[in-house]
Formats: sequence, structure tokens, C-alpha cells
Amino acid sequence: MPQPESRTVSSVDPVLFEVIRNALVEATEEMSVTLQRTAYSTNIKTRLDYSCAFVDADGRMIAQAFCQPAHLVTIGRLVPRAVAEYEAEHGEGTLGPGDGLLVNDPHRQASHLNDVFLIAPFFHGGELVGYVANCCHHVDVGGGAPASIGAFREIYQEGIILPVVKLFDGGELVGDVLKLMLANVRAKKEVAGDLRAQHAANEIGLRRLSALWERYGAKVLGSYMDRMVEYSERRLRAELAALPRGEFAAEGCLDDDGITGEPVRLKVRIRFDGSTARFDFTGTDPQRAAPMNCNLTQCFTACVYVLKCLVDPDIPLNEGFYRPIEVVAPEGSAVNVRPPAGVVGGWEVAMRLCDIMFRALADPMPERVPAGTKGMICHVGFGGEDPATGEYYCFLETLAGGYGGRHDADGPDAVQTHIQNTQNAPIEETELNYPVRIHEYSLVPDSEGAGRRRGGLALCREYEFVGHEPTFTTLADRARFPAHGLHGGDDGKVASYTLISGGEARNLGSKATVQLVTGDRVRIETAGGGGFGPAHERDPEAVLRDVREGKISRARAREAYGVAIRSGKWAVDLVETRRLRRSPGR
Amino acid sequence: MTGNQFHLGIDVGGTFTDAVLICEETGRIDTAKVPSTPADPSIGFMAAVARVLDGSAVDPGAIAHLVHGTTVATNSLIEGKTPKTAFVTTKGFGDMLEIARQVRPSLYDVHFEKLRPLVPRDLCYEVPERLDAAGGVLRSLDEDAVREIAAALRAQEVRSVAVCLLHGYANPAHEERVAEILREEDPDLLISLSSGVCPEFREYFRASTCVINACIVPVVARYLAGIEEGLGRAGLDAELLVMQSNGGVLTAEQAASKPVFMVESGPAAGVVSANFIAGQLGHADLISFDMGGTTAKAGLVLDGRPRVTKEYEVGAQAQPGQGMTRAAGYPIRTPVIDLVEVGAGGGSLAWVDAGGGLRVGPWSAGADPGPICYGKGGTEPTITDANLVLGRLNPDYFLGGEMELDVDAAAAGIRERCAEPLGLDPVEAANGIIEIANATMINALRLVTVRRGNDPRELTMVAFGGAGPLHANRLCVEMQIPTLVVPPSPGTASALGLLVTDLRHEFSRTRVMAADVADASRIRSLFETMEEEGRRTLRREGVAPEDMEFRRGIEMRYAGQSSEVPVALPGEGADAGLDGEFAEATLADATLADAVRRFHGEHERAYGHGYPEQPVELVNFTVTAIGRIARPRLPKIDANGKGVSDARRGTRQVFFSDGNAAVDGNAGFVETAIYDRARLKAGHVVAGPAVIEEVDSTTLVHAGYRATVDEFGNLLIAPGRVP
Repeated sequence: MPQPESRTVSSVDPVLFEVIRNALVEATEEMSVTLQRTAYSTNIKTRLDYSCAFVDADGRMIAQAFCQPAHLVTIGRLVPRAVAEYEAEHGEGTLGPGDGLLVNDPHRQASHLNDVFLIAPFFHGGELVGYVANCCHHVDVGGGAPASIGAFREIYQEGIILPVVKLFDGGELVGDVLKLMLANVRAKKEVAGDLRAQHAANEIGLRRLSALWERYGAKVLGSYMDRMVEYSERRLRAELAALPRGEFAAEGCLDDDGITGEPVRLKVRIRFDGSTARFDFTGTDPQRAAPMNCNLTQCFTACVYVLKCLVDPDIPLNEGFYRPIEVVAPEGSAVNVRPPAGVVGGWEVAMRLCDIMFRALADPMPERVPAGTKGMICHVGFGGEDPATGEYYCFLETLAGGYGGRHDADGPDAVQTHIQNTQNAPIEETELNYPVRIHEYSLVPDSEGAGRRRGGLALCREYEFVGHEPTFTTLADRARFPAHGLHGGDDGKVASYTLISGGEARNLGSKATVQLVTGDRVRIETAGGGGFGPAHERDPEAVLRDVREGKISRARAREAYGVAIRSGKWAVDLVETRRLRRSPGR
Repeated sequence: MTGNQFHLGIDVGGTFTDAVLICEETGRIDTAKVPSTPADPSIGFMAAVARVLDGSAVDPGAIAHLVHGTTVATNSLIEGKTPKTAFVTTKGFGDMLEIARQVRPSLYDVHFEKLRPLVPRDLCYEVPERLDAAGGVLRSLDEDAVREIAAALRAQEVRSVAVCLLHGYANPAHEERVAEILREEDPDLLISLSSGVCPEFREYFRASTCVINACIVPVVARYLAGIEEGLGRAGLDAELLVMQSNGGVLTAEQAASKPVFMVESGPAAGVVSANFIAGQLGHADLISFDMGGTTAKAGLVLDGRPRVTKEYEVGAQAQPGQGMTRAAGYPIRTPVIDLVEVGAGGGSLAWVDAGGGLRVGPWSAGADPGPICYGKGGTEPTITDANLVLGRLNPDYFLGGEMELDVDAAAAGIRERCAEPLGLDPVEAANGIIEIANATMINALRLVTVRRGNDPRELTMVAFGGAGPLHANRLCVEMQIPTLVVPPSPGTASALGLLVTDLRHEFSRTRVMAADVADASRIRSLFETMEEEGRRTLRREGVAPEDMEFRRGIEMRYAGQSSEVPVALPGEGADAGLDGEFAEATLADATLADAVRRFHGEHERAYGHGYPEQPVELVNFTVTAIGRIARPRLPKIDANGKGVSDARRGTRQVFFSDGNAAVDGNAGFVETAIYDRARLKAGHVVAGPAVIEEVDSTTLVHAGYRATVDEFGNLLIAPGRVP
């Protein structure tokens, strides 16, 4: 709601402002519930890898229901661009009621190909008012490996590319487009079902918005939407005024690019000047002919996410929030990729950018940023012919890991981090629906970065495949470069990706697609979070509790934390602990 | 006293313990309110019993029916006051509770905390064994390992244990054998099996349900035993019944073994009460709207049945501005009456945010210090303060005049905290506070109606709780709800729900199968097994066969989805429940085909689309066993001897924001008639704008509406003018 002095229209009513703002968000929440409940894939229903939004006729993102921070920016950035491109091609005003545009092309600033967007124009009284849109991570969009997450050199190998095409025309499904798409994907039932759910969600959104426009009228709503955008911008700038000013830099590396063993170096310089935030990625490696590149939208997403964590979480997210943010990402680099490079690992890159940006801010804002985290999406995908049904199946999930220690709290164990908050798939449901057996799902003891506030523990998941020979892929990271500790805290333990075949264990590395034979197992241990502050300053009682709960071994308590636990009973050996902590250079 | 029989309901809430006593023959109602005693809630319980019996001079021996609603189970969990509990699961999965859903409860808070597991990791035990998804044994149970666990539990002095083995929903054999061995080793150990408490798939949710049960079993058992003992001493020998989260009751004995079914015992009573009140008037489809001091709760009843959900989290708290997320509480998968709760109660705080926006809630001033106008030290304006400033509350007749409200202090607080920062006058700001609170409540109402495919224009609203009747008329205007019912004594109406419900037991089994090839005889035997279990339980509770009813349901989805829609099966009802008389027709293929057809319709209603051409899966099979309990009659009030003017107290200036109240069509203060509800008689009609005052609540009737008093003393508020 505008401050009195900024009121330009005397009719701005602070109450109506709040009512309309809530009603618009509520419309997108309603889309979100519909999408979740009617979706077919575990990806959407359980993992909640989707988002819904309303964008106005000027292309401003006005309201959004967020399930994943990764979608902070994507819909708002893509919609105006997709519409402009479609109209440039077919003539202005060619979009009408009942139309639905389908797009997933990363080089048109969507995200990776799996994220499929459906955009529907919203008309009221014959006038275009805006667009409802949603974005869903589909379990498969074709390409070289089941679940479409394999490591390839070019986007063409990653799956079907949907430029901006009509899936719905005047309310009618364009059957040929659906047919073409389904012919290119493995999990046809899920993809078709999820597309239906996307359409249903947009329909619900349109219905709700129509009722709102009916009630308040286009003029009032248009004016209040302007106010909402100004309000978010004003609040963000007020927060920026309170952030420490200056330029803060950090860098980090991804294990490799998935094709060569060469690490991908990412660099950032952040500048806060009191009213804007500038994120400059100059110095980041050039893009690779490989999957580990992100586009500008994904890079921008990481920046918005980091900033959102630093300011009042209550500031509504809309176009106004983006305005004070400037992103400098050299074209053709790993953070602003050009065709025809692969992009499927783009979210892996964006995720790591978050960790690196927080690292840059660790000194000016020690109490507000966590140490390094799992810092990867950690995709696991597999598929093949289900021996029970003879049908091709596809499965995708993402594994959690340790969070970084904070100045006043440990990093939580086994949790999704930063732009990702996808839920795990229940084992019982997975085994019921897919020919896989999961043997272990556990915390990895001793995987935390030691510290005054320790990092979170990694987790382990072990799969066995029976009765068939699936293709298995991991698209992940952190096998070489651990989650960083902060302010004297230790790094977390790195991840490991192991194939156990015929009694032999083989290290797969963080990005691999392998053909399995029946009885093969794959064991993945993700990364632990970094520690915060020197481990020798950790409260011995906290170390004792971790040892007692089996999260940390006695040996590690002694070596990493300088804490001795009495044998035979649960008590700290204070004398020995004092001695250990006195001795220099642990 | 005469030989009349009485029904007694005791509702233990966070602040007050309410007692409601109804005479079966005359319908006379007595109530009592005493402070709750959180340290030992049974003290407040017995005090309420004594108070209501003393006040009405009823002999304890005349109590034939005694029902209790309580939040003791939830509170012990939230406050972490549960005894040492252990968890046993399949080897490889001992971290199930630690990992939980692997998500953060808030998206942009880097200082978040993951939910603390209810069982610490060193009390989580793994046992070698493994079933597959069909319940087949992949690895047999290692019984020696179970005995070792038993020894460890003894050494750790664990009193209660939850056992949840992977795929235990499909085959309980391993879990049951684990229980046998543990019991052999320690006969006093309290054991909760996931296959007994909640035999449905998705391991974390089943385990969480089972663990919560195990955690509260000792607390609830001891609590109920204490109450039964106290009742015995007081000469009350009626069987103690306990309200469950699903709105039904069960015996204290049952409640003590499956207390997870009663975690939301208190709020459920309100919806049951609303259903009963509306039912008397012949309204079967309604919204229950309960607005108290800290929150407002909206629930839905369709066809006379409260909507229940199996997606519920205990201890979850609202998080403003965090977007849609989950994992803020401990999930349970037992049926809970579906309530949407928002932080808008009389004590909810109004504030101006950093960007100059006026906001209300979710924080509350609670009962202490309470709103500014209470004069108990509150400094931040609340919804109650705003209502007072707008003339809607009577400063001299709050709680029947027991508490005087300070209008000037309320106005000053609103001016300082809200009006001046926004450049408004205090009345505009007070009105803004009410409008924003109403908008929040409308979102809650939308959630239970349009979002679930129910048209509010076809529903009746029953409004209660101390603050409900002040806001309800406006909400009905906004939602186009045609009829509003305000029962007598809205402040204690919720406790009435304890006395107007049935014994109710829920059973379920997960068996995923394609609908088109489903084996009807297998399904029938599943239902029959559950019904037999239900019949045994009801028989133990002393229910006669003619009072038993069994409802069958199937939770279905489109093959490939993972969210189920419940569909009730026909062929239920008392006839189906007769002993041994299970008509073969109850699940003929035709019945199943019909249920699948209705699933398409339900799906379309809930989500806007049905896909009749898509294959359907049957997932969970459910049976609700009901033992009917006679309802007490409610008292009728006298018909109008004199005109309505007899109840009129006078007039005062009341602010209305909807223009039609004022003469010139603008918002503003209107000279408004004030009525004393105690003096309103059946048949009286009060024209809006009007304020109707009673001891524990105030009803606001808007212009263009009229309130008709029915024979039970309910106010029926609907559009219309006085003829």
C-alpha cells in the first residue's frame, strides 16, 4: 500500500489494496492446488516441482503461487517473451480466448527442457488483461536417457524442443502438437496426464480472475496492480538501504561439465549500493559443449532467491521485486548460455551460484548467511521396460543433503537447499509403481562439516533393479568440491555415486548414464553441509548428543571436535576434552 | 430431582473448560465455565462437572451419557511432554523420522529448523526383515534381533514403542510377530503397530501416525484413567466417551489405545454442533464458522456429514508470506474433520508493515493481555478494539456487563498504531482492520467451498464462537450465502457438539488395483473383515445391532496420479449392518462401476476436470462403523407474546461500510437499534441494521437483512425487509 505522500490517485484505498492483492494470489494458489491434485507424475504431485502465476498484459508478473523457489523468475520472464515471439510471427492480436501456448526452449529463456510451460491469455470484456501460466517439470521429454537428464553436448540430444506453439486453439486441443510431443517422450501417460493438469489449472485460474474482474472492473484492478508492483519495489529498496554497502566477491567450481573432466569455474561480484543490487558473473568460465550451463533466467533466479533470503520474507513477489536487481552475465558463459549447448544441468549451476553468492556475503553479513550446503539438485533418473507390464516406465527424483551451519544454529540434516524444496517420493509408493527396490534410505554419519555450528548430514539411498535392465542416470555434483565451511568451520564431506555390479563397486562420478543388468545396485551418498565457526568451540554437550544419536562417531568427536566421550557411559570426559582442545593445530 | 436422565459434555480448551448439561426429557440446558488447569487438566474437568451439577441441582447418578472433548493429546505433543518412546522399523530405514520429507518448512528462511523428530535417533531401531509391495516376504523376520531390541528398550526404560515396517500395510504378519516378541519380553510395554493404527501405504506418513499414537498413549491413558477415577468418586458411573478428530465419539477404553484418533477432538465438536443445529432446521449442506479469540475456523458439512480429511499436520503453524509449503507439523493419516483455520480472531493484532500496508494477524494478543480495550495491559490494537470503535460492541455489556471496555483507549491505540502511519482517521482505520480480517476469513471460506467445488450459494452458514456472529453477516454477503444461523449462546455452542454425535470407528486398507479388472469378491471380503472388526468394537461398547451402521468407501485416482478422491459406496445404512445379513449385492460389479462413474464426477467437481476415458485405480478401502446414540432434544423458547419492541434496548451509532446501511448510500455511522437477545421470543423479526446483544456474544445484522427468531431461539438471518 502506498505511503500517503506517494499517492497520486486519491482513490487508493489501503484496505482494497490488501483485499485485491490477496485475491490475486489466492487465484494462483487455487491453480496450484488443482495442478497438484490432478497431476499424474510423482514429480508434480509429491515433489511439487511446478508453479502457477498471473502476468498482466504488460508482461509484469503480478501474483504467483510458489512451490519451488526455482520458479521465482521463470514464468514472469518467459511469458512476455513467448507472447511477443508468437505475435511477431503470427500478427498482433492473434491470441484469443481458449488459446494455450506451449513452450520449453531454454534458449528462449524457459529453463531446462523438462520444465514445460503452458500459457493462457486472459480476456475480460473482449480486452486482453493478462495471462495465466504454469510451469511443470515433466518426468520425461525424450532425449538420450530416460527422465531426460543425461549428459550430452547439445540441446538437441536433451529432448524435444517446444518453441512457442499452440497446444490449445480457441478452447480446442491441437491434437497434432500433442501427438508430436507424445511421440518424442517415453512416459507418455504421465506427460499427457500432466499436460491435462496444466490445462485444468489454467482454466481454474481464468475462472477466478474473471470473477475478480467482474467484481472490481478493469480500471480499478489495473490501477491497484500498478500499486502492487510499486509497493514491492519500494519495500525492496527500503531493505536494500539497510544492507551493508560495498562489493563482495567469491568463486567456486562444479566437479566437471559432464562431458570432460574439467571443472566449471563460477565467479560472482555482488554490489549493494543502498538502492540496487548488482550481481556480476564476469570471469565465469565460457559455456561448455555439455549440460552444465544455465541460461540467463536461471542465473537471474539464483540472484532473486539470494536477495529474497536477505530481506523481509513478507515482501510480495512480483515484477516490482525484480526492478532493483541488475544481473551482468557474459553471453556465451556457463551462466548465460547460447545455442546449441546443453542446458539440462542448468539448475545444478544455478543452485551452486546460490552457495557461492552466500559465500561472498559471509564476511559482511556473518549472522545472516549459512555455510555451504548440499549445493546441487542431485537428479536421479531411471527407466526401461517394466517386466510386469511390458511398458516403458520413467522415474525421476532428487536427493537431499546437508544444510550449512548458521551463526546460531546447526545446519539441518538431510534437507533440500536453496532454490530447491522438492519432497521425497515414498519408498512404498515407488516400489509399488516401479520395478525397483530401495535397500537403504539413511543419514550418512560423519558427513557433516565440523564447526561450532556443524553442517547437516548427507543422506544415502541405495537402489536395486530386478527383472529388467534399466538405464540409470545421475546428474549431480559435489563429488570433488565440498560444501565450504565458514569462519573457521570445516568443509562438509563430498558426495559419492557408486555402482555395485557382480560384487564389484565402481565410482560413477557425479554425472553418468549407465546401462544396468538385473541385480545391480546403485548407492548414492549426497554431500554434507559446511560447518560454521571453529569446531573446537562447539559445545561438548552438543557433540555428545550427536555421538549418542550416532550422527557422529566417537573417533570423529575426538579428532574433529576435540571432545572425548567417556567409555561405557554417555558423558563428556572434561579433563581429556580440555587437554585435546589445548593442543595446537588439530 | 426427578428420575430424569441427563447428558453431560465437558470440553477442555486452552483457556476455559466448558460444561454443557442437557435434560433428556425437558431439553433444559445448563452450562458452566471454569478456568482450564493445563498442569493437570482433570482438575478443571472435575471442577466443571461439580459446578454444572451444583448449579442445576442434578444428582450425579442421573447422568446417563458423558462425553469429553480435549486437546490434552495435542498439547502433550506440542509441549514435548511425552514419555520416552521408541521406533522400530525395517533395516535400512531407521532414519525415516529424521529425514521425514526432506524439505524445509519455509522457502526463503535460511535460519529455518527442520521439525524435531518425536523419537530421537538413538531410540530408533532397525530389524532385519523385508516385505515387497504385495506383502510377500523377501526376507523373514530376524526374531533374535527383535529380542535384542526388547533388551535395549528395557535398558533405556522405554514405556511405549511404535512399530512400522516397510509395506506393513500390505501384510501385518511381521509387525504382529514383533509385537508378540516384545510383549513376551516386557508385558508392560505399550505397543502401537502401524498396521493397526493406520494400515495405509506411504511409509513416512504411516510411521508418523503410529509414532504420534505411541507418544501419547501413556499420557492419554493415564489422563483418562484419572478422570474415570474422579468421576467414580463423584458418583458418576456413566460410561466416559471421548470425542475424536472425525467428529464421532468412542469409549475411553478405545481412546486410550488409539489416541491419535482424538488429536483434534475440540475443534471437531464445533462442526458437529453446527451440523446438529442446522439439521434441526432441515439444512444438510452448511459451513460451520467458529471465530474465537485467536483464530477463525471454517468447516464444511455436506449431506449432513462433516467433511473429513486424511491430510493433516499436528502442530503446524501459519507462516505468512512464505508461499505454499508443507512439513511444518507432524503428519497424521487418520480422519480429521476438515477445518481451515486462519489467524483472525477477536484478539488478532492489526499492524502496519514496513511498506505502509495495513495487516491483521496472524499474531494474537490472546486472552492475556488481550485487546487494548480490556485494560489489562494490551497496547496493540486488535479486531475486538476495532469492533468497539465502530460501535458494534457495547462497552457496558461485554460478557453481560462483567467487563467494561475502554473505547477511548481502543481508539487511541488504533490512531497511533494504524491510522496515523497511514494518514487515515481512526474510524477509517478500524473499518480497514475489520475489512482485512473479513478478507482473510473469506479466503478460508473460499478454501472450504469454491476451491473444493462447492457453491456457497447452496449452503447455510452456522456462526458461533464469541466473535463469529459479529462478522458472519458480512461474510455471507460477500460469499452470497443465502442463510445465516446464529444459535443461542454462541460462545458455548461448540461444546454442545459433544452431545449430539455417534460412536464412530474408522478402518482402512491399502490395496492398489485397476478398477476395470478389480476382483469384487476380494474387495467384498476386505470390507467384511473391516466391518466385522467394527461390529466387534461396537458390541464391546454395548451398541445394539439395530443401532449399528456401516459405511463403505473407496479412495480412487486415475492410474498414475498419486492423490486419491474418496467415493462413498451405496448399499450402506442400517440394513446393511444387520448381523450376518450381508447382502451379496452390496458390492456387485454394478456397484463398483457406479462408484467409478461417481469418481469421475467427484474429480470434476473438485478439480474442474474429469477424464472418463482414463483408467481408474482403487487405492484405499474404508469402512466407518457407527453406533447410533440418541440425541437429546433441545429446549424451545416461548413464542412472542408482546412485540419485538419489548426486547429493544435503544439505539446507538454503529459504523457500516456497505453503503446500503446509510441513508445516502455511503459508508458511515448509522443510528442502529440494539436488542437484548434474552428477551427475543420465537417468531420475532428484527430488521437490519441492528445489533443483538447477549452475554457471550454480539450479533450484527446488516441493512437489507432481517433476523427471525425460531422456536429453538436461533437467529435466522437472510436478505429481506420486515413485512
